[in-house]
Amino acid sequence: MLKVKGVDPARRQWLQTLGRWGLGATALGGLPGTLWADEAPPMVELPFANGQRPLVAYPQKRPLILLTSRPPQLETPFSVFNESLYTPNDAFFVRYHWSEVPTHVDLQTYRLQVGGHVKTPLSLSLEKLQALGTAVELPAVHQCSGNSRGKMMPRVNGGQAYSGLMGNARWEGLPLKTLLEAAGVKAGAVQVSFDGLDHPPLQQSPDFVKALDIDHALDGEVMVAWRMNGAALPLLNGYPLRLVVPGYYGTYWVKHLSSIQVLEKPFEGFWMEHAYRVPEDACHCLSPDDTAKTSVPIARFDVRSFITSLADGDRIQKGRTYTVRGIAFDGGYGITEVAFSADGGQRWQDATLGRDVGRYAFREWTVPFRAEHSGEYRLLVRAVNRIGQTQPQQALWNPGGYMYNATEHVRVVAG
Amino acid sequence: MRQMIRNTFLMLVLGSPLGVLADLPGEITLPQDSTSYQANDLPGYPLVLKNCLTCHSSQYVQTQPPGSPRTYWNATVHKMQQAFKAPIPDEEIPAIVDYLTKTYGAEK
Repeated sequence: MLKVKGVDPARRQWLQTLGRWGLGATALGGLPGTLWADEAPPMVELPFANGQRPLVAYPQKRPLILLTSRPPQLETPFSVFNESLYTPNDAFFVRYHWSEVPTHVDLQTYRLQVGGHVKTPLSLSLEKLQALGTAVELPAVHQCSGNSRGKMMPRVNGGQAYSGLMGNARWEGLPLKTLLEAAGVKAGAVQVSFDGLDHPPLQQSPDFVKALDIDHALDGEVMVAWRMNGAALPLLNGYPLRLVVPGYYGTYWVKHLSSIQVLEKPFEGFWMEHAYRVPEDACHCLSPDDTAKTSVPIARFDVRSFITSLADGDRIQKGRTYTVRGIAFDGGYGITEVAFSADGGQRWQDATLGRDVGRYAFREWTVPFRAEHSGEYRLLVRAVNRIGQTQPQQALWNPGGYMYNATEHVRVVAG
Repeated sequence: MRQMIRNTFLMLVLGSPLGVLADLPGEITLPQDSTSYQANDLPGYPLVLKNCLTCHSSQYVQTQPPGSPRTYWNATVHKMQQAFKAPIPDEEIPAIVDYLTKTYGAEK
């Protein structure tokens, strides 16, 4: 699935050590050129055409798959999802839209503005914000709208990722509702917009601002979070505060939150009106030959499931029983069923679901599997959620390359 | 060589304020972007260096699916100018599109 090339084990070990310290060579400012001049970074090959990427350790991160360096965009190597149910902070994916990333955030001067159609506009330090209520913790999956775009056929232009633009974390913060109630939402509010400290390098370019309907913003589940997995947010994941919109695609999870505005009219910014939109019909899909259709802003995750304990090309022993393990998740209805096939989808068996840590989180599953004969086995997994949504055998297509959720398969060889 | 790098690294991190700075959650130094566009004789090459590095690194172009057609590059350069407000002069667009299509796209 993911082949590491051009790196000897000792060097890999060293890179991992650097990563654990949050101090890849690249964290040393102007020095990487000197340190790395005689060696190319290790490469991985994602399983689609033009999928060669370097593995690079960014500050506070272990070596991750580098998609773009300015702005930094990093994909989690898929093997990480077999390490633990929660995705470690130093392995969590990074996605930005604009290259002016706030590399220094000083809590002495940091303020979150809450304003617009409210009774009392607020300007809050992180400390003052934290004093507004009792912190809550919610396990939830964060996933980029374009996760797995590289697997879409026909290929769709845009950020070309395998399936590592997702992660599961315990988010700690305050319900957005608490903040909005402290400011006092006035009658007639329809939406709330969210801006962060990241900006375009040119002033005239559309800043990255997103909006949610007022009822959604006040649902008590949308959060402003300052910790993930028990630690401060890594800077590249939104330090000191980010929006968490459980069950919704990552585009809404605005990082480095700086301004929350309650609106009397629907928000009309570029990133809601023209970007991150999907066909309006139930499948949010269309034929690659079609063009014109009404679109809507992308919303909830569809159902996904993955095998994590075996990767493409792995060799297994004939006659030995393995416990195959993986993860499943959806937009928050909850996973009710995971089915596994060892013969390319002809026969299916139920997997055993692991502990339910929350309806927005990864749900672990396991299933026993024994290869009786030598040769190749095509292992498939698919999940069903509480409202009966499942995964298509062939990926549904849309022009943004969003919401990929086809049934995943892994080929292993028994011998 | 590896040992030397490791020693240099330990000296730099443990023996200097860099090691302390790296522990502050709100302060990082991003690595330099060492990538650039492929040099060739096409008239669009200097124009891409002039226009396309202002906002993003070259991997945005390099990682696109092979065979991306001229229509895609044309639409994308216009999107950069119209939607994202990149100050690309109209007269430079045809050469930029030609360079991208021939260097990274369907006419490679």
